[in-house]
Amino acid sequence: MRYQQRTGRTSVPGRKVQLATAAMLLVATTMAACGGGQDDGEQASAPKAPATIPELTTDPLTLSFIWFDWPPAQALEDFANAEYTKERSNVTVKVNTVPNANWHDAMFTQFAARKTDFDIAILDSQHIGEAVTNGNILDITDFVKNNIEVDAYNPYLLAAYGQFPQAETGQRDENASLYGLPLLGDTWTMIYRKDLIGDKPPQTWDEMISVAEKCQADNPGVSGLAFHQANGSDAAAVTYNTVNGVYGGNLWDPKTRKIDGVLNDAAGQEAMDVLVNKMKPLTARGSGNWFIDEVNAAVAQGKACIAFNWIAASGGLLDPKESTLGTTREQILDKLGFATLPSQKTNLVPLGGMGMHVSAYSAEANQVEALNFMKWFQRADIQKKWAAAGGVPSRTDALSSPEFLNAGPFNQVYADSVPRMRDMWNVPEYARLVDIENTNVNAALNGAKSPKQALDDIAKEQQSVLDSSGRKGGGGL
Amino acid sequence: MSDPVPLTTDAGQVAAAPSPAPGRSRRLSDRGLAVAFISPALLLLLAMSVFPLLWALYLSFTDYSATRGGPARFVGFGNYTAVLTSAQVHQRALTTLIYVVGAVGLQTVLGFGIAYLISRRTHGRGVLTTLFLVPMMLSPVVVGLFWRFMLDAQFGVINSMLGSLGLGQVEWLTRQRTALISLIVVDTWQWTPFIMLIALAGLTAVPKYLYEAASIDRASEWFRFRTITLPLVWPLLLIAVLFRAIEAFRLFDLVYILTNGGPGVSTETLSFHVYKVAFLGFNTGTASAYGILMVLVVIVLTQLYLRYLNRLKEG
Repeated sequence: MRYQQRTGRTSVPGRKVQLATAAMLLVATTMAACGGGQDDGEQASAPKAPATIPELTTDPLTLSFIWFDWPPAQALEDFANAEYTKERSNVTVKVNTVPNANWHDAMFTQFAARKTDFDIAILDSQHIGEAVTNGNILDITDFVKNNIEVDAYNPYLLAAYGQFPQAETGQRDENASLYGLPLLGDTWTMIYRKDLIGDKPPQTWDEMISVAEKCQADNPGVSGLAFHQANGSDAAAVTYNTVNGVYGGNLWDPKTRKIDGVLNDAAGQEAMDVLVNKMKPLTARGSGNWFIDEVNAAVAQGKACIAFNWIAASGGLLDPKESTLGTTREQILDKLGFATLPSQKTNLVPLGGMGMHVSAYSAEANQVEALNFMKWFQRADIQKKWAAAGGVPSRTDALSSPEFLNAGPFNQVYADSVPRMRDMWNVPEYARLVDIENTNVNAALNGAKSPKQALDDIAKEQQSVLDSSGRKGGGGL
Repeated sequence: MSDPVPLTTDAGQVAAAPSPAPGRSRRLSDRGLAVAFISPALLLLLAMSVFPLLWALYLSFTDYSATRGGPARFVGFGNYTAVLTSAQVHQRALTTLIYVVGAVGLQTVLGFGIAYLISRRTHGRGVLTTLFLVPMMLSPVVVGLFWRFMLDAQFGVINSMLGSLGLGQVEWLTRQRTALISLIVVDTWQWTPFIMLIALAGLTAVPKYLYEAASIDRASEWFRFRTITLPLVWPLLLIAVLFRAIEAFRLFDLVYILTNGGPGVSTETLSFHVYKVAFLGFNTGTASAYGILMVLVVIVLTQLYLRYLNRLKEG
């Protein structure tokens, strides 16, 4: 009897029951997986943070950040654990890092899951639009009004790292909402070899190119220029945007959301021509995939006359263990100079750096602690200590303080660059816009496209991204 | 020693009919037991594999975005039409095709060649096979990273060797043609041992008496290879090629580490492009349709290939 049961086929009603059970299981799994779907609509805009900080917990708490892996991340963790714990002894600060290329994905995949293992996201200024539109970070407008001395900042710095909709270059809209506060200011610095081109840095972009050309010709084995060209992160895009700004171009018209015809106008084309036909020939062979580390390596090994890099990533250049330019910091500084970018038709420089943004999905106690940390971090005395620890503050008083200006040879460059900064597009479509620009500029720099073709393709493809919001299907292509 | 088991029982016990051993409850029949045993694995498979596939299929007909949230709007075949008609997708498909044909073709020739040479050795065969298998055991990310250093135009060992031979520097990873060739070479370095291993198994299984008979007939080396070795190893080799082609079609990791799709997008494969669609703009619906189409392509091509293999066997 048993054998019959084992080998025989289940009766038709039995099979129906099994099929029905399997279907129910599938539906149940589906329902469970989509359980959070109903919340989605409610979280279409950023939730508000309290205007005043509620009572803080006395239980042990780990305040987690997410950033990409570079020296300032470790500096922040060390600084916060040394200083913040003096006031909040139950708190441990942990700065989780991911490779730069995964930074956006690491944050936004967690945002997509509506659950984050970080309390404070360190967002690039351009990420704010995407995070705000999706309701991923707290609206801290009221919190800022009650707790932060907004007049202590250059208005554009406050706006660039927190305001949405995006601020106009150099300005802040006081009626706009704020979603973050500055953590680390940054811009490009020009790094030049004083022993090869002299103590005085070039003042104009054209002069810089001719000086680099001469230096390369006079010093075999040393390339005239080193700059970011890679197609990952925002490397090649920032390079083009910088040259575009210096030659009087614009990335877009934010009011009409027009890119095609603006980016690739005469100024934009001139900038692309300068980048590809005048600057690229002065770089090392095979440097078409260089980013921060590769540029630093070229400078440290004495292989570049003039280089461009983010200030926050330049500290390692003064480390004798990593440099062939000298055995002491002083010897290296005898050979390396740091200057603001040369100007040409304008004196614009790229806005770098990041702000702190509170995750909307963090536990309430952690959100409160995050707000308290941000308030603490923006205090005048703490900003100066952050400067002394190697950070780049944003408060005006800290920027002009000896603690900051004497902490590194490039800090004066940052202070001088603040009024000259320009950002990219701060819109929800940022990740796709920057990828289009990155890949096309990289293609032009590596001979895969002509400069004009690359620029026209960028303008056309970016415009199509901005215009495709209402398209039915196929978004993302 | 245990006590001896009594062979007899008292009369009273004999008189009473022995009660059957307590059986399993009726609910736990053999079939029920089987279901109970396989259901955890089945549920896991359902949750981890079948459900995501069905869910992706559902999303592929919507404009859902994982980060934007909100309800998923039904867009019919809009995503599929967009993917199939996109010039960007066509470009990545061509790149993937060149890559698959180049890498798998090279691996097959080299893998079979190495296996053939090893099979003819009597000494050190085991050691040689083990050594050749090492690249296959490494993580593709590790392989990508050390090849990236080796292929670096400025500091890489490959250019250094070329320099010592009096040849010029080659921009392996930053020029359109050399970047794709570099990817093919690195993939070949890693996966030739796979083909070699399967080919070696096939070669070892060829009966010796066939070669002996051919020798008696004074058949040439080439004749023996063409009429005995190749026909017998061919079906097994084709299965190895099928596995490699499917793997190569899904290539992502080496591209990500070595070229990041560059220069421009010239080494972006279909998988890499799906990743960008899915995670840069979080266009989940489009990415799902894109992924489903890739699965369909693999299934259809595999079916055609298997039919050919079956015909080959029947022949």
